[in-house]
Amino acid sequence: MSKFRLYLEENNRSPVTQLWREFKRQHSAMVGLVLFISFFVISLLAPFITPHDPYLQVDDLLLLPPSWSAAGLVQYPFGTDDLGRDLFSRLIKGTSYTFGFALLTVAGAMLMGLLLGALAGMSKGVKSSVFNHVLDLALTIPSLLLAIIIVAILGPGLMNTTWAIMLALLPQFVHGIRNAIDEELQQDYVIAYRLDGANDWHVLSRLVIPNIWEKLTIMAAMGISTAILDIAALGFLGFGAQAPLSEWGAMISDSLDLIYLAPSSVAIPGLLIFTAVLSVNLVGDGLKTAILKRRQN
Amino acid sequence: MTRYLFRRLFLMAFVFLALSLLAFSLSYLFPGDIVQNISGLRQIDEAQRQQLVSYYQLEHNVLAQYLAFLQRIAHGDWGLSFASQQPLLQEIKLLLPATLELAAYALLLSFIVGIPLGIIAAFKPHNLIGKSISALALVGYSLPIFWWGLLLIMLFSLALGWLPSAGRIGVLYEIPHHSGFILYDILQADVKYRIEALHNALQHLLLPTVVLATFPTTVMIRFVRDAMLNVWEQNYIKTARAKGLSRGQVLYRHGLRNALLPVIRQIGLQFSTLITLAMLTEVIFSWPGIGRWLIDSIYQRNYPAIQAGLLVISTLVIAVNMLTEILHALFNPLARRG
Repeated sequence: MSKFRLYLEENNRSPVTQLWREFKRQHSAMVGLVLFISFFVISLLAPFITPHDPYLQVDDLLLLPPSWSAAGLVQYPFGTDDLGRDLFSRLIKGTSYTFGFALLTVAGAMLMGLLLGALAGMSKGVKSSVFNHVLDLALTIPSLLLAIIIVAILGPGLMNTTWAIMLALLPQFVHGIRNAIDEELQQDYVIAYRLDGANDWHVLSRLVIPNIWEKLTIMAAMGISTAILDIAALGFLGFGAQAPLSEWGAMISDSLDLIYLAPSSVAIPGLLIFTAVLSVNLVGDGLKTAILKRRQN
Repeated sequence: MTRYLFRRLFLMAFVFLALSLLAFSLSYLFPGDIVQNISGLRQIDEAQRQQLVSYYQLEHNVLAQYLAFLQRIAHGDWGLSFASQQPLLQEIKLLLPATLELAAYALLLSFIVGIPLGIIAAFKPHNLIGKSISALALVGYSLPIFWWGLLLIMLFSLALGWLPSAGRIGVLYEIPHHSGFILYDILQADVKYRIEALHNALQHLLLPTVVLATFPTTVMIRFVRDAMLNVWEQNYIKTARAKGLSRGQVLYRHGLRNALLPVIRQIGLQFSTLITLAMLTEVIFSWPGIGRWLIDSIYQRNYPAIQAGLLVISTLVIAVNMLTEILHALFNPLARRG
């Protein structure tokens, strides 16, 4: 903050443009965004861009080392696994499972959270109090335990663990959204709008939602990083994606018994999980800073 | 404060009621025979079945069954484990201290490392040290814990051979079981090789603790840094500086006290994440705690064990949550209103 600002810039841009200007200034956040977008695109296009069939087992090429070692083949950049499947293609396909499913999970949890959070935020008295208490319980069950219970009832599988993670994310979303709505409802312009004759729905859709969407994006970013880590962890434990699916966590546990022979098949999927989570966190942190700066200006 | 305590206790009763309802309904939701799921017995003949049905009040309505369930839980009759056919409560009593020990040391480590680093990062947000601490925190925050654990095992146990990769203590040392907390047990034990055993147990403890502490430490760094930056902008800090207090005095008397207050609450909020991570850490390091036991239970379709695990772990998390909330309210009068 310089004390002498002689030329005050006229700042009449829309909030989104202002946000983008602040976001663009942070290099780390931009790197995160580029990574995030590329993961997103890969997860969408995964079935079309794999160089080999990720499930095709080539008997002649079992445990091929990565292409940078002398024995590797350039057609198989990361080598093959013990069944002769191309690791590179499996990793690309795995993006849709680990990253794509994390996005879907958070989108689902966000929608439900918005609905329940709005109900909780707009209601008062006993209804809101009961709601809070139920949420308190849901917040206390660790996500892995919740997943274990759901897997015990429904059986293992990527879809079932997705539900579990959605349920595990939901309470914090509802909590956050409820608090944000609560804060928003205290504003004077809400009272003014109500005096103009607006009902709850008008207030919610015209004033509250447009004003809390920034908080929603930050919540979503934190949710996505949790979801990726959880999906990978559950895949690693064998509760999530089942055998042929090339979910990154499941790939690590698959190649765990080959750790002496092919350490890269453990290292690379883990590195991808780490990069994906890092990109989401970079974007989330960048957004947080950008929003803070925009508010200050 | 009394009013606040009453409200909290009432809330806790409500939460426990909901938890017991959830745990009760699990035996009906799990696949398989209901009598087996409740009792944990594998082989039940006809006469025994009749006896169990009347013991569990299964011929009566759901409310009677629920009350019978509550009574059983209160009396410590938690059923048997499918896998070992041993009483569940006994098994949990043996396993829980190992998990608590690991989690407690990790939490302690995260305080010792996280809080000072967070403060340093807040003081020098723009120079190299501050930036590298923030970057390190972001990296630690993004690491998948099971992969991180594997990497450390690969480096320190397999490649360098410095540290053991599994278990709590070497098989050479026979330590009698007292409390279940291994370090305490070793110090209590009346054996010749106490020092060696302690050394060995600490070696076993080091890697799991570091792995488990990674996430809480980074959360702590980020949280303390943000709280500190926030507090440092406040007017009372400027006032304190203006009246001539030195930087250290301001930091200690006004900065830390206000910035570290929300940290107490953060412990409660992060505790359920910590337990999830502890379960994963236990699996990777073959740590004989309740988390590994629960994950084994699902592989073995050991439904009574899952139910008991839910009860114990959730009770633990709820208790820690309540405790931190009450402590927070004790130190911060503003929080008593909610």
